[in-house]
Amino acid sequence: MTEPDAPTATAAPRELEMYFGPQHVGMVGNFGIILTVEGDTVVRARANPGYLHRGFEKLMEYRTYIQNFPLVCRLNVMDPDPNEALYAMAVEDLAGLDVPPRAHYIRTVVLELSRVSSHLMWMWGYANLLGFETLGQWAMGDRDYVLDLFEALTGGRVYHTYIWPGGVRRDLPDGFADKAYRVLDHLQSMLPEYDNLFFNHRLFADRTQGLAVLGRDDALAMGVTGTNLRATGAAADTRKDEPYAAYGALDFDVPTMQDGDSYARAVVVRLEIEQSLSLVRQALEGMPGGPAWTKMPNPFKWEVPPGETYVKIESARGEAGFYMVSDGSDKPYRVHFRSPSYPVGILVLERLLQGASLSDVGHIMLSLNIAAPEIDR
Amino acid sequence: MRDRDGDRDRTGHVADADVNEEDLKQRIADRMPQCGVTVPKPGRLIATVPRDGLLSLLHLLKTDGFEHLSLISCVDWIDEGELELVYHLWSQEKKVHAMAKTRVDRASPRMLSVILLFRHAQTYERELHEMFGIDFDGNPRQVPLLLDHWQGIPPMRKEFDLRRHARETFGVEERTDD
Amino acid sequence: MDRAQIPKILKSPANWGRKYSLWAVYFCTGCGIIEIPPVVTSRWDAERFGVIPMATPRQGNLFLITGYVSLKTLGAIIRTYDQMLNPKYVVGFGSCPVNGGMYWDSYNTIKHLDQYVPVDGWISGCMPRPEAIFIAVTHLWTLIDKGLADGYKRYKDNYDFYCANQRRVLPHLPKFACGTGTETATAPATLRMPT
Repeated sequence: MTEPDAPTATAAPRELEMYFGPQHVGMVGNFGIILTVEGDTVVRARANPGYLHRGFEKLMEYRTYIQNFPLVCRLNVMDPDPNEALYAMAVEDLAGLDVPPRAHYIRTVVLELSRVSSHLMWMWGYANLLGFETLGQWAMGDRDYVLDLFEALTGGRVYHTYIWPGGVRRDLPDGFADKAYRVLDHLQSMLPEYDNLFFNHRLFADRTQGLAVLGRDDALAMGVTGTNLRATGAAADTRKDEPYAAYGALDFDVPTMQDGDSYARAVVVRLEIEQSLSLVRQALEGMPGGPAWTKMPNPFKWEVPPGETYVKIESARGEAGFYMVSDGSDKPYRVHFRSPSYPVGILVLERLLQGASLSDVGHIMLSLNIAAPEIDR
Repeated sequence: MRDRDGDRDRTGHVADADVNEEDLKQRIADRMPQCGVTVPKPGRLIATVPRDGLLSLLHLLKTDGFEHLSLISCVDWIDEGELELVYHLWSQEKKVHAMAKTRVDRASPRMLSVILLFRHAQTYERELHEMFGIDFDGNPRQVPLLLDHWQGIPPMRKEFDLRRHARETFGVEERTDD
Repeated sequence: MDRAQIPKILKSPANWGRKYSLWAVYFCTGCGIIEIPPVVTSRWDAERFGVIPMATPRQGNLFLITGYVSLKTLGAIIRTYDQMLNPKYVVGFGSCPVNGGMYWDSYNTIKHLDQYVPVDGWISGCMPRPEAIFIAVTHLWTLIDKGLADGYKRYKDNYDFYCANQRRVLPHLPKFACGTGTETATAPATLRMPT
C-alpha cells in the first residue's frame, strides 16, 4: 500500500479493508479504491490512482513541439480530441499562429463527435453495470459508426493526430459530409430507442434516483465541472463561457438537471448527445470555404517565443485545460494538464462512497463519468 | 454563483459593462499594493505576490467572484533557484481566468496550504508535494498520490534527468542518428 | 470447421478446447483497453472466435496486456497472472509492451514486458485495430496447436530470471510474491532472455 496514513491498526474488528480494483469488472479503467467496509456498507473510501501514471508532463519537456503533438491525444483515451485541441490552442497562443475559420468548424465537428463517442462509451459501461446489457451492445455498436467517421477523416479510429497548431492536418475528404449525415441520422433515430429501453425505464429510475447526491454548492466548492456540475443545476459550460473553435457562432442548449443524483447525471449525458448531434450538423452545413490550416513554421526548428498561457475546453467530462510555459527554446518548459476527472475521481468519489452500499461502488464511480487516464496522466 | 443565461449575446460572452479586467486589476492594486497585476489578453489576469501575500490575494479574489479553483501548477525555474506556484482561478460571473502566482525557495520549498479556502486544493497540493517536494503547511494528506514506492528525487524537478533514469532503471538507450 | 479438422481434434482434444475458448481476463491495464469493448460487442463479436471477457483470473486463460504497463500496474499484473490456472497465455497488445512505445523514456513504465512475465505473442500498433486482435487470436491457435504457446512453462522453468527482473523494478515486492526474495537484482545489460 502506498498510504502511510492507513489506519489498519485502529480499524474496528468488524471492519474489513480491501482493494476494489484495479482488476474488477466494475472498474472504469485501471483505477483502484481502497475500501473499508463494515458488512455491506462502505465506512471509508480512499482513491488509489497511479496505475496509469506515465509522467506525461515530464515527457513533454523532453520532446519538441512537433514531437509532443502525437503524444497529447493519449492523455485520455476515451475522449482524445479535446487534448489535441488544447495543445494546438496553447501553442497557437504562445506562437501567435492564426487558425482559419474552416479549421474552427472542422475542429468543432471532430470535438463533438469525440464527445458523442465518449458518451456512448459511458453508456455502454453504465448500462452494462446496471444489467441493461442490450443497451450496452447498441451503444458500443453505434459508437463504432462514429469511429468509422474518424477513420475516414483522420485515418485512425481511436487516436486521430488530426488537430494541430495552425488548424487541422488535412481537409475533409470527398463525401465525408454525406457519410456524416447518415451516421447522425442513424444516431438520432436510435435516441428514442435508448430512451425506451433505458432512460425512461422504471428500473433505471428506481435504481438511480436519490443515489449519490452531490449538492450544487458542494460541487462548486470541490472543483466539479461538466456534466456532473450541470446535473446539480449550474449551467456552466466552457463552450458558452469562453467560446473556442466555432461554438460562438452555433446554436445549442446546455442541458441541466436539478437533483445532482445518479439519475440526473445520466439524463444530462443523454440530453447532451442530442445537442452534440445538432452541433455537428450545424457545423457541416455552415462550413466556410478556405484553407483548413495555417502553415506552421518549420517544425524541426520551431522555437516558440517565451510566455505562458492557460487554455480550456469543454471535454465530455468537464473543464479540461492546458497551462503551458515556454522559454523560447524548441521544447515546452512546463505543461500542466487540468483534467476534469481529477477533483471528481479523488475527493468527490471518496465523499460519495462514504456510507454507500458495496453494490453501489462501481455504480457511483461510473455515474460520475471518471476517466482514470486523465487523473494519472 | 449566478447564471447569466439571460445576458448572453451571440458569442456566449456576458456583456458586463461595469466590471472588466482593467477594473479588477485596479481593485487588486488598490487593496494589495505589493501585488503586480497584468492583463495579458481579454479574459485573463495575472497577479504576482511575494509568498506571504498569497493567501490574502486568494481570499481577495475568491470574495470577488473567483470561486472556482481550476488547478494549482508549479514551474521549476532552476536557473533562478525558485519554484513558481500558480493558482488558477475562474470567475463564472465575470468570465475571467486569474492566475495568482508566487515563488518559493527551491532548496527548501514551503507554502501555506489553501485548503481552508478551496477544499479540493488538497489533492493538487498532494501531487505537488510528491512531484516537486513542496511542503504545504496545513495539508493533512501529503502522502503519495500517483507514484508507488518512489525512491528518487521528486521527478518533476528539472535536475531529475529523465533519460538517464530510463537508461539506468530499464536499460533503454536513446537512439542516435548514425 | 471442415472434416479435415476432425483428426486434429481427436489427436488433441485438449488443445482444441483451449484454443477455441480463450477467455480473456477482464483487466484494463492501459489505454489499449479502448478497443476491447468494440471487439467483444456485437459489431466485431469476438465470441465467434471463442473469446469472451471473464471477470476473474481464476476462470480466464488469456491475459491481454492492453497498452503500457506502469510500475504499479506491473505488480497487479504479476498478482493476476499468478492467480490464473495453467495453461495460460499472455498477449502484449500495442507497441508499449513491446519496447516501451510512446513512453520509452518514462520513469514510471516498463519497457519490455517479456522481461517480467512470459509473453506468447505481440500485437503491434498504437492503437491496433480489432482485426489485428482477431489475427493474433488465430496465430495463437497455431501456436497452441504446435505446442509453442508455452509461456506458462517458461515462467516456471525460468522463475529466477523473471523474479530478478520483477524485484529490480519493484523492490518492495513481498517475499511470498516472487521467489525467495534472495535473487540478486542484476543490471539490465546482463539480462538474457531464456531460450
